[in-house]
Amino acid sequence: MSHVQLIDVDKYYGGYHALRSVNLSVDKGEFIVMVGPSGCGKSTTLKTIAGLETISSGEIWIDGRNVTREEPGDRGIAMVFQSYALYPHMTVAENMGFGLKMAKRPQAEIDAAVKRAAEILRISDQLDKRPKQLSGGQRQRVAIGRAITRSPEVFLFDEPLSNLDAALRTQMRVELSTLHQQLGSTMIYVTHDQVEAMTMASRIVVFNKGIIEQEGAPLRLYHNPANQFVAGFLGAPRINFVTAKLVSLRDGVAEVALEGAATTVQVPVADVGDLKTKASLTLGIRPESLKIGASIPDAAISFDGKVRLVEQLGRETILYVDGGPLATIGSESGTRNFTIQLGNATGFSAGEQVKLSASTSSLYLFGPDGRTLSRPKPIIASL
Amino acid sequence: MYPRPIPEEKPALRGLYAGFVGLILILWLLPLLAVMLTASKTADEIMAGKYWTWPEHFNLIENFQSIFQQTNMWGYFINSLIITLPSVLLVLVLSTLTGYVLARYNFRGNALLFSLFVGGNFLPAQIMMIPVRDLMVSVGLYDTYFALIIFHVAFQTGFATLFMRNFIAALPDELFQAARAEGASPWQTMRHVVIPLMRPALAALAILIFTFVWNDYFWAIVLTQSDVVKPVTAGLNNLRGEWTSAWNIVAAATLFVAVPPVLMFFLMQKHFIAGLTMGAVKG
Repeated sequence: MSHVQLIDVDKYYGGYHALRSVNLSVDKGEFIVMVGPSGCGKSTTLKTIAGLETISSGEIWIDGRNVTREEPGDRGIAMVFQSYALYPHMTVAENMGFGLKMAKRPQAEIDAAVKRAAEILRISDQLDKRPKQLSGGQRQRVAIGRAITRSPEVFLFDEPLSNLDAALRTQMRVELSTLHQQLGSTMIYVTHDQVEAMTMASRIVVFNKGIIEQEGAPLRLYHNPANQFVAGFLGAPRINFVTAKLVSLRDGVAEVALEGAATTVQVPVADVGDLKTKASLTLGIRPESLKIGASIPDAAISFDGKVRLVEQLGRETILYVDGGPLATIGSESGTRNFTIQLGNATGFSAGEQVKLSASTSSLYLFGPDGRTLSRPKPIIASL
Repeated sequence: MYPRPIPEEKPALRGLYAGFVGLILILWLLPLLAVMLTASKTADEIMAGKYWTWPEHFNLIENFQSIFQQTNMWGYFINSLIITLPSVLLVLVLSTLTGYVLARYNFRGNALLFSLFVGGNFLPAQIMMIPVRDLMVSVGLYDTYFALIIFHVAFQTGFATLFMRNFIAALPDELFQAARAEGASPWQTMRHVVIPLMRPALAALAILIFTFVWNDYFWAIVLTQSDVVKPVTAGLNNLRGEWTSAWNIVAAATLFVAVPPVLMFFLMQKHFIAGLTMGAVKG
């Protein structure tokens, strides 16, 4: 029996269909991360679980109870907000004990719960302060502490780290993962940051336009995305997409012609359905799969390019390479360069000519509807 | 040190401007000065026609004593308190409730209801003089404290609701979601979250309403008749009839009447200004 279950949940805002028949089942103790671009429905889904949003149709079950019509306070959930939502006129201790006080629990029990939560989060010396005297990280700890004191069935996090600076975010990520191990509670976490998703989740749920595109373990989603959207959403730097056309299809191998390239590329495919020749496809190459030089034995694709920009990150280098006639479908920044991630510091500089190649096994192929056509890859792979 | 907010004019022009401000200020404060001077004089001095001279014999204390010994001002003063304090309290309670509901709940007719509250503020109160008086007569409340309390509460709640609604609407939404997620009922949310956060607004509103109700003269004479219920503003008028020549006492009584609102305004000035901008800018 799953701990949290959403059954055919639909949500309309007026005429806008925000959630389209969402089904999700979360086991006890899982750390679920819901990701997706803005307006994809991930926050709405979280709020429907919390009960802060009503649903148009469907059912929500928590811990074996149908809570669809229950008030948030009765559902056994605790929520942590992006803006922390601490009560400015209360001390840290009062903030953390608020839920129990509203439930009219004895003061001794409230004090004990606050003390325990404060110890877990190492904010015991801050209990008499007010929120405005705390730093962003401390405030978020108080907000998490406020959730812990109520010992909920399910923790709900709505982009809790988005207001923190990068260094603090990394630290809090580790702390939240530790907290999850320590408490063993079910946690559902919403973020638009795919690094948070990859690092913290026991299971990632990718949302897009009100539907669940794919769910699964982080590495499984990364290596075997169900479709082009998931492939594009997970992974930083972003995967390179190149427009292609199907030339022929035989013996489980698709021969595709890349736009702007003279030669064709062979990609092993799984179930392709009724794909027609000249169908418009998309080839995907992860930045770390592109190698420089001609050292790959089974290179399926290789081309010349000119380095436009080099980003030295210390133990890795990111190159942006202009592939001449061969171009990616582009990024938000509008450039159509290839992104290459090299696992070491390199001496490349802008303007240099390089030869790029990628192995057959590292290529992804997506159909006209965005569905993944290429064969599944081994999850623990040293591609 | 600081960037100059406005370009500086020529010194002569600035001098002219400062002089003009001073002139207006004197004109504005002249009546008040006259009242203060009159209140400090003896009746004989005023009878002699020395209106604008410095008092020859400083008689302020004696004049104040006469107010309490020879007139009913103390009774009027108590009447004013009996009318004003419950009115202020009721307006604050009602407008907090209506403001909370209008700001936080999306129900059918919310916008219409809110516009009615706002629109009501644009009606001149005087057009209701005859109907309100007739109403009070027919329900048997004419010439009682309740007539004034009920009217002031009804009339001030419109503006107060606009004020409170905008203030509550400016509170972050997530605060309410957090309270709800923690199991706080709407009533608990209001008591433990909304009201503590609105203390400045409530203080500012209390001063405003207090001043409006305390200073009201029009409705005091429309809705009351007997000295037993008359507030100070109407009572002052009575003094003139009884003490035709004692302008020094009328002036002293006027000062006495003006003390409570002025005192409260200065006590709460900080809250008053902060509260007004909070309601206005973010609403």
